Amino acid sequence: MTEMLLVLIIVLAVFSLISRDLIHSVIALSAISLLSALIFTLHWAFDVAITEAAVGAGVTTIIFVWALKHTSRKDI
Amino acid sequence: MKMKTAAVHVIVIFALVLLAGCLFIPDDTPWPTDVRTRLVSDGEKDTGAKNLVSAIYLAYRAFDTLGETIVLIVAIIGTMSVVESVKKISDDPTTAVTYDFSLVKEKRSSHKLRTHLLEVVTGKIGPVVLLFGFYVMGQGHISPGGGFQGGTIIASGIMLFILGNPYSKVTEMRQNKILSTIEASAFVLFILVSLLSILTSGIFFSNPLEAAGVKYEYYIIALNALIGLKVGSGISLMCIAMMSRRRT
Repeated sequence: MTEMLLVLIIVLAVFSLISRDLIHSVIALSAISLLSALIFTLHWAFDVAITEAAVGAGVTTIIFVWALKHTSRKDI
Repeated sequence: MKMKTAAVHVIVIFALVLLAGCLFIPDDTPWPTDVRTRLVSDGEKDTGAKNLVSAIYLAYRAFDTLGETIVLIVAIIGTMSVVESVKKISDDPTTAVTYDFSLVKEKRSSHKLRTHLLEVVTGKIGPVVLLFGFYVMGQGHISPGGGFQGGTIIASGIMLFILGNPYSKVTEMRQNKILSTIEASAFVLFILVSLLSILTSGIFFSNPLEAAGVKYEYYIIALNALIGLKVGSGISLMCIAMMSRRRT
C-alpha cells in the first residue's frame, strides 16, 4: 500500500514538473500532499497527517494560486 | 525549452544521487529504543497528556516550541513586508483586473469573485472547518492535534471565508486589525506564561500553578490554545494581506 502511494506521488511530482499549465501542477502538488497525509495516517502519525493536510492541501495551494494569478499561468 | 531540459537533467541526477544513497544505509543496526521506552512508560505520568506528541513538544521540549513560534512570526513579518512592496507596484488602477471565478452572466460588481459553488462551499463548510480547528486545538493533549495543527486548520477555515467574499470585504477585514492584535497578544502571553514559572519554581517552562494544585494537563491546554490562536491568526493574516487590495 505504502509503496503504491509512493509511486503515485512520484508520478504526480513528475507530472507537476513537466506540465505546461501551472494550475495543473498546483493541483498535482495538492494531491501529493493529500497522498502523503494518507501515508502518515497509515503509519499512525495522525498529528503529522493533520498538519500535512491543512498546510499542504490548503494553505500552500492557495498561496500558489495567488502567485499564479499575479504572474503567468503558462510555463515557458 | 532549453531551461526545461536542463532542469530535467538536474532532477534526474539528483534522483540518482538519492537512490545511490539508499544503498549505503546500514540495515542491521537496531533502532535506539531507550527514549521510546521511557516516554511510553513515564510520559503520561509526567505530563498528564495522553497524546505523547503533545507531551514531548509542550513539556519535555517546550523550549524548541518557543523557537518554532519565533521562526513562524519572523516568516510572517518577512512575507508581509514582501507582499506590501508587491502591492505598491501591482495596484496600479489603470491595469484591468480579470476575475477568473465569476459566472458568465454575472453583472453585479460585488459578485465578480463569487460563483454558486464558492458561495455554497464557504457558507456551509467554512464554519465547520473553523469548529474542527478549535476542536483539534483544544483537545491536543488527549487526541492527535495541538496548537500548530489546530491553528493551520483555523487559518484554512478563515481562508474559505476569504475566498467567498468580494475584495472590498476582505480589505475591510484587513483594515480593522483584529487578527494582528490576536497574534501579537497571543505571542506576548505565550512568552509571559513561559517566563512566569521562573518566579514560582525557578524552572523555565514548567507549570507555574503547580503549588495551587493545578495539573500540568491544564498548562498544556493553555499553551496549545495560545499557539493555536497565534498560528491561525498569523497565517490567515498573511493570506488576507495577499488577497485584499490596498484602499486608495
